[in-house]
Amino acid sequence: MGSRTLTSVHNLGMWQKRQAEQLREEIEAVLAALPNEASFHDLVKRPLTHAKRGLAADSTHNQPWALLPLLVCEAISGHYEQALPVAAAVQFLMAASDVFDDLEDADCPESLSARYGPAMAINTATALLSLAQRAEVRLEARGIDARIVVRAVDAVSSFCINACAGQHLDLSPDSSTSISEDTYLRMASLKSAWALECACYVGTLLATANEELIATFALFGRDLGIAVQIANDIHGIGSGNDIAKRKVTLPVIYALAQTDGDARGQLERAFLRQAEFVPDAQEVRDLLFRTGAMHYATVIMELYRQRAGDNLSRARQAGANVERLKLFLG
Amino acid sequence: MSQTLQALVKKIFGDEKTKQQFLADPDSVLRQFTLTEPEKRAVLSTHARLGLATSGPQLEASLKAADPWWAPEP
Repeated sequence: MGSRTLTSVHNLGMWQKRQAEQLREEIEAVLAALPNEASFHDLVKRPLTHAKRGLAADSTHNQPWALLPLLVCEAISGHYEQALPVAAAVQFLMAASDVFDDLEDADCPESLSARYGPAMAINTATALLSLAQRAEVRLEARGIDARIVVRAVDAVSSFCINACAGQHLDLSPDSSTSISEDTYLRMASLKSAWALECACYVGTLLATANEELIATFALFGRDLGIAVQIANDIHGIGSGNDIAKRKVTLPVIYALAQTDGDARGQLERAFLRQAEFVPDAQEVRDLLFRTGAMHYATVIMELYRQRAGDNLSRARQAGANVERLKLFLG
Repeated sequence: MSQTLQALVKKIFGDEKTKQQFLADPDSVLRQFTLTEPEKRAVLSTHARLGLATSGPQLEASLKAADPWWAPEP
């Protein structure tokens, strides 16, 4: 594979397809090292084929999340091939994270744990974690300096540990009743934004030694990740799913803090885990709109999106070609 | 996050007169609150892109129309 420099951003479909295909090849090359057990291979591969993961059939949608490490690397150096191993590693880690999340949440009938049991799911996720490490080792074959390889491996591990810390906060018994907005945002940063922050950090690390630029792109990923998490929260209330699950997300935190009387009582009954009470999703949704909670969440989402945009501007001023990365800002 | 931003949203959604004033002239309402520049930008940008989020279908439709980014869960 020869190096490719930036081509027209308008020719979006072509470059996305090319990069997505190369990422697919990288992932398949790592999977090829699996023992020759067809059912094991199938199970390990399955989470990678889900929407927005590296082997998904529709991996060339408008926001090619899986390609983020490549795009960041390319924005700085003009080349992206050296970032393919870490892009693959991030996909293995996200797939493992999906499997673990499904196990912990136990709310998805299509999940591996629901279909094959928790033991099979844990085993599959463990294999995916190990495959991520094998993907990272392939950096050496791309000619990356050993010190950078070690730093990239260490960074990816650190982000994964952060994700576990965020998940710990989320799973803690009192997280649904006493969560403040600051705690929520810290949790979103650790638990949800880690993948995008990690993708940007390692993508930059493989393109430059400029520590300021590495930090700028990492912040871009983190702010974007938090914005996406808030978008998920808004969607979760709109669809009613998070109301049914009594999930305390940003709109709910705002509403609990800013309401009193009947409205506050209704929210407490809906979200404070009284098992015998089934909340009326439409009523709760209406309340969250009426009190401005949904609007507030939308403003905070916008705030983080703009922060991400500000970081891109700083990166552009430092010489990066950020045109393709603007796709992620909408 | 800023308590002032929360207070602004509470005022807009809790007081019909302020809501109408915000819809007609957002800056005149923002001047009554000590927001940071990024917060002001976020409030005005949200208003310009999406209006006030008053119902599920309205918000979802506005987000989809304004923003191909509205595809959560990376």
